[in-house]
Amino acid sequence: MMRKLFLLGTGAFWIVVLMVWAGASWLPSLPEQALPPTEKRFTLDEVARHASLGDCWMAIERTVYDLTRYLPEHPSRSGIVEPWCGKEATEAYRTKMKGRPHSPEADHLLPQYRVGVLEEP
Amino acid sequence: MHRPRSLAIPLISATLVGLTVLWAFPENLGFWRSIAIVSGWTGCGLLAASLLLMIREAKLADWLGGLESMYRWHHRLGVSAYLVLLVHPLALAAAGWSEAPALAWAMLAPWRQGWPVWLGWAALLCLMAGLALALSPAMPYARWRILHNLLGLAIVLALGHLLLLGLDYLLLWSPLLALAFVLWRVLRADLGLGAQPHVVARVAHPAPAVVEVRLQPLAHPIAARPGQFVLAAFLDGPGFRGCGEYHPYTISAVAPDGEIALGIKALGDCTSHLQAVVPGVTARIEGPFGDFLNERPAGPELWLAGGIGITPFLGVLRSGPLRHPVRLAYLHRNDADAAFLDELRVLAKAEPRLALDAVSCGDHLPDLAPLLPEASALAEQHCYLCGPPGLLTAAVRILQQRGVRPAHIHFEHFDFR
Repeated sequence: MMRKLFLLGTGAFWIVVLMVWAGASWLPSLPEQALPPTEKRFTLDEVARHASLGDCWMAIERTVYDLTRYLPEHPSRSGIVEPWCGKEATEAYRTKMKGRPHSPEADHLLPQYRVGVLEEP
Repeated sequence: MHRPRSLAIPLISATLVGLTVLWAFPENLGFWRSIAIVSGWTGCGLLAASLLLMIREAKLADWLGGLESMYRWHHRLGVSAYLVLLVHPLALAAAGWSEAPALAWAMLAPWRQGWPVWLGWAALLCLMAGLALALSPAMPYARWRILHNLLGLAIVLALGHLLLLGLDYLLLWSPLLALAFVLWRVLRADLGLGAQPHVVARVAHPAPAVVEVRLQPLAHPIAARPGQFVLAAFLDGPGFRGCGEYHPYTISAVAPDGEIALGIKALGDCTSHLQAVVPGVTARIEGPFGDFLNERPAGPELWLAGGIGITPFLGVLRSGPLRHPVRLAYLHRNDADAAFLDELRVLAKAEPRLALDAVSCGDHLPDLAPLLPEASALAEQHCYLCGPPGLLTAAVRILQQRGVRPAHIHFEHFDFR
């Protein structure tokens, strides 16, 4: 009985993995959302006003993101992310741990939280 | 099995899973991401419960309804944990699918991720390989034991996965508990820190391919009762090199000074090698385990023994006079192969409550129907069976056909894989 369950579960798992791979390879991707023609510009002082978990903005590579809605989904504990709220966080984003950047998945998610760009100094 | 003890394992498992999921339950997340988190922590809770049941301690086994019940639930909970954990990466991919299929694949493809995900995949694949081997009935026991360690490695890798994800330390209590259970098992059982040292005092050969070993405690005697079993690993001695593996053996006698006797039939490599054991060989003993033949209700009893399955009954007969009438059916291949038959005949002559029915069956399972009492004689009797699996299955079927209630049929499987 346990052996049958194991074989069924394992088989179903690899079938779903293959289906996801096939979907990613052959299904068309959604078109990139067009950026607004004129974006808001923020200074680092303005970003710094959003420095809590309940209102968390970050500047990453000169783009400003409002990550408040995303934070509950972030896998790390809040103590790791909170110090970067309201700050220029490019270095933290690109060196998540031991010099490794965030995953392509994170790069993919980031644009939907974009609220503007950083004002040139 | 007593009902409160039979409920202990499901209750403990439900508590471990419930507390883990409650502690880590996500808030304000999408459906699939919530499923991913809940499945991951449910798997952790089930694994912790499964690993608790791998611990071999006599008191714990007694409290949880016996070692056999623990091992049965260990399998069920381990496979359930694996199936639930398979949902974890798939639910993460499903969360990404709503954005784009490419994002769903990025969630699964390890080469597009970092160490936290690599360790998660490694843990899952170790679990997959370890379970595939653990559930393989044909694998020789020694190799099976070594490869079973892959499952312990999966726990270490899973803990690394959670640590590198930067999870709140308080959330890690469940996988840390699972790891503690693994360490407890390895140190106390596999490395023998919880076992009692004994030395072989005497050896007898009551039949070909059967040895009865008398073991004297070197430190503390175990509190054994006749009919229980121990897990014993025989080590080295004068001119003898033991295989060091723990195997279950039924206690065939208990002496007041703590000496125990074990009846051992040559059934595999290790037990065949043990036929040559000599006095002076040391052994580690874990237990005692089991409640077969303990706390027997008043009234006439039927005992059915097949081959070396005679040992628990012999242990009870050697321990003193019977309190109730017993009919003992002892099935064996032939008189020359029948271990302890002469001693049983002497005991039967001296014990008026014992009716011995020794039956030579040859090499095949006999037709049990004429050997077992009729339905009228079995009414309200408790039946105790010990022997090979084929004999047990056939006997249980006939006894139930003759109206014996399942609660009145007692046996142990001795299957500890």
